[in-house]
Amino acid sequence: MNAALLSLFAPLAGGLLLVLWRPARAGLALGVALVSLLAAAAALHQVADGTRQWLEVGGWAPPLAIRLQLTPLSALLLLFTAGLHLLVAVYAARRPHAIGGADFWPLACLLHAALAALWLSADLFNLYVTLELLGLAAVALVALAGEKAQRPALDYLLLSLAGSLAYLLGVAILYGRYGVLDLFLLGEQATADAPTRLALLLMTLGLMLKGALWPLHLWLPAAHSSAPAAVSALLSALVVKGPLYILWLLWTRLAPTELAVQAGPLLAGAGALALLAGGWAALRTPLLKSLVAYSTVAQLGYALLALGLAMHWQEPRLEAALWLFVVAHGLAKVSMFLAAGELQHTLGGKRVVTLKGASQTLPVTMFTFVTAGVSLIGLPPSGGFLAKWLLLQPLLERPQHWGWALAVVLGTLMSAAYVFRVVAHGFDRARPQPPQVRPDRFGQWLTLLPALLVFGLALIGERMLPWLEGVSR
Amino acid sequence: MAEGLFDLVLAGLLLMLAGGALYGRSLYTSILLFVTFGLVLALVWARLGAVDLALAEAAIGAGLTGALLFAALARQGRAPEGEFDLACRRRGLAAAAVLLPVLWLMLSSLAPLAERDSPLPELALAALPHSGVEHPVTAVLLNYRAWDTLLELAVLLLALLGARQLGSGRLDTARPWPQLRAWNAHLAPLLVLVGGFLLWRGSSAPGGAFQAGALLAAGVVSLRLAHLLPPLRWSFWPLRLLVLLGLALFLAVAAAGAWLGQGWLSYPAGWAKPLILAIEVAATLSIAASLSLLVVGERREPAP
Amino acid sequence: MSTPLFWLGVGCVLWLLGLHGLLTLRNAVRRIIAINLMGSGVFLVMVALAIRERPGDPVLVALVVTGLVVAVSATALALRLSGQLARARKGDA
Repeated sequence: MNAALLSLFAPLAGGLLLVLWRPARAGLALGVALVSLLAAAAALHQVADGTRQWLEVGGWAPPLAIRLQLTPLSALLLLFTAGLHLLVAVYAARRPHAIGGADFWPLACLLHAALAALWLSADLFNLYVTLELLGLAAVALVALAGEKAQRPALDYLLLSLAGSLAYLLGVAILYGRYGVLDLFLLGEQATADAPTRLALLLMTLGLMLKGALWPLHLWLPAAHSSAPAAVSALLSALVVKGPLYILWLLWTRLAPTELAVQAGPLLAGAGALALLAGGWAALRTPLLKSLVAYSTVAQLGYALLALGLAMHWQEPRLEAALWLFVVAHGLAKVSMFLAAGELQHTLGGKRVVTLKGASQTLPVTMFTFVTAGVSLIGLPPSGGFLAKWLLLQPLLERPQHWGWALAVVLGTLMSAAYVFRVVAHGFDRARPQPPQVRPDRFGQWLTLLPALLVFGLALIGERMLPWLEGVSR
Repeated sequence: MAEGLFDLVLAGLLLMLAGGALYGRSLYTSILLFVTFGLVLALVWARLGAVDLALAEAAIGAGLTGALLFAALARQGRAPEGEFDLACRRRGLAAAAVLLPVLWLMLSSLAPLAERDSPLPELALAALPHSGVEHPVTAVLLNYRAWDTLLELAVLLLALLGARQLGSGRLDTARPWPQLRAWNAHLAPLLVLVGGFLLWRGSSAPGGAFQAGALLAAGVVSLRLAHLLPPLRWSFWPLRLLVLLGLALFLAVAAAGAWLGQGWLSYPAGWAKPLILAIEVAATLSIAASLSLLVVGERREPAP
Repeated sequence: MSTPLFWLGVGCVLWLLGLHGLLTLRNAVRRIIAINLMGSGVFLVMVALAIRERPGDPVLVALVVTGLVVAVSATALALRLSGQLARARKGDA
């Protein structure tokens, strides 16, 4: 447990130091991310055999104190968070245009800490505080992009606050009904009565609003596409996964099975519609970063579909698919947003059509975009393929489930279409867009790294799958 | 009976003020009504026996939020709003039609909650002798659920960081009237005194770091508005240190506990009282510094 | 009707009133007020639950104090953002 705490402590303390003391920001931030990564790896090693560790904060017995839990899944998420922060920090240190201002460093550290606190918490009110921490950090980071980002940042902040207040009302009702705040103690007592239903409804809506899950996703494209590139990468890859994690905890750990079975199809339906609506919007938008942001909406649809069906059928394989999606999407999206930022910066235009001839002028970046796109589409041998395969298996087993499989296939076709839309412009070499500034080689290769890691995920996938299935229990 | 009537009047007043704050004709009226709403809410907390909250609401909810709102109004100017036309009214009715059934649903499913009891209050009281403080609310905030409080200080810091990088937040403070100057010169030390008293009392009775910090901040803000204090600048490092002090000390205690084998955020036996007191003092100073910077902080310095 | 139930109801009405404002209003400062009303509604629900026992439930009161500080922080950030936006709009005009 101490290793996990170190993984949380390092970014929090680092953030404070960065606020107080200015020079060598990037170096300190890199060091913090590295320490956190190593600590997370140690924590994962401790619990890799599927054990679960508890920490009662302050040494009080559970109903009184806040409990922190370290499960293989939370350790994996800690590792994933620290790793992505390290990658983005390396890139941002090299390419200052991607961060929007020196305030990026302390804010990114605090964002990292907020996520780490969220993965470890097992207390409903504590989760509310971490959600607020996450939301404020994300808004402050979006606002780094300057004037054009202020309207989206304000909308994001207000909706995110409304979402947290809906969540908090749900927490209050659950506390009123059962008298405890600990998630697992609540899970032991919960029955399917009216207050519980109301609380779960409010919390689910609030979390869907915060996590930009369809149909409450409307703030996401503007906020994610107007932020600086490194920030967009962190937001899409990590921040929206926080509320998703709480949603998963809520419905698989707390909610009575009977309610989860009833609510599953609703969430899965929302997921399926997200796939189609997000994909369609990504096909239509003229702006490159909006396209990538809408693709996040669509990809979150897969995760929601997996969650809903896992609840409905009580199927652990689908929970494994959910987390594989989260990891694969996170890695691919970091690459994609950084590549989009690199393309925008070098070619000096925001629109998809400015990419004409980018395969010639910025070959490595274009290759990155394609590689990440391949994983988003779910072509073998990427991590995205593995996740989709895991999702499709239970769907194909019985003919009455083929409707869901059809939605997945349609979503896949749409993601192929919007990735291809970008690629087609990139390979249109007739009148290439001249670069505005000299392309940066090292930066381009850095954006490729996460996309390659997604393919690495596929290599260790066979060993990971049974493990992930065990993890999510 | 009389109590019921009092409740009814308070609730009616509260809801009317809330409605007025939302749909008041001018923004100025709205803000004024909202500040009044905060004061009535403080009365409600007092009526419900939550004295801690009444203090916190009066200082934070009504006082500081009001100051922030009026500062925002000053920045925004009184531009015509173009609100409340026919389309808006239609939208309002449609939303009301949706939300009324929701209200009915909520009320009908909340009814059974009125008569339950939870195990936590008894546990909290039973553990009180070992917590290092005598007031149960302070014990929850700084001992049983100290992790929430630590993270909440981080939330405050983040709000400050976010607001700071947005650039100039300076109020266009005209020269204050002489009377305000004279008033504030007397008022501010009084606020500081009351703040200190609240902090000290917090370990045994309602009061504590947040209420005290908010009062101190109110004192600083009124001094600044009367031009009795120099501009508060973020680039001044002792001020930054003050902002971070509470969180840093809290974090250090937490980490030291984990390092020395006591456990994350566990106070060693016998040390609970002094440690909690130190954290409370540091947190009060940090909260006061952060809140006053949020209200009257001066523009950012050029990026280094 | 018992006192806790009465205030539970008032809290819910306040929460929904705030939500209504958030859904229908366009002015940024008014929407921020609406969010604060939603917050007050939730706090009222929590305190109404706290007074079900004598003396009140300290845990819920402490949670509300935490919630208040979080609310004021978020309000400050939102107001700063809206002020910045209004200034930009004035600059355009």
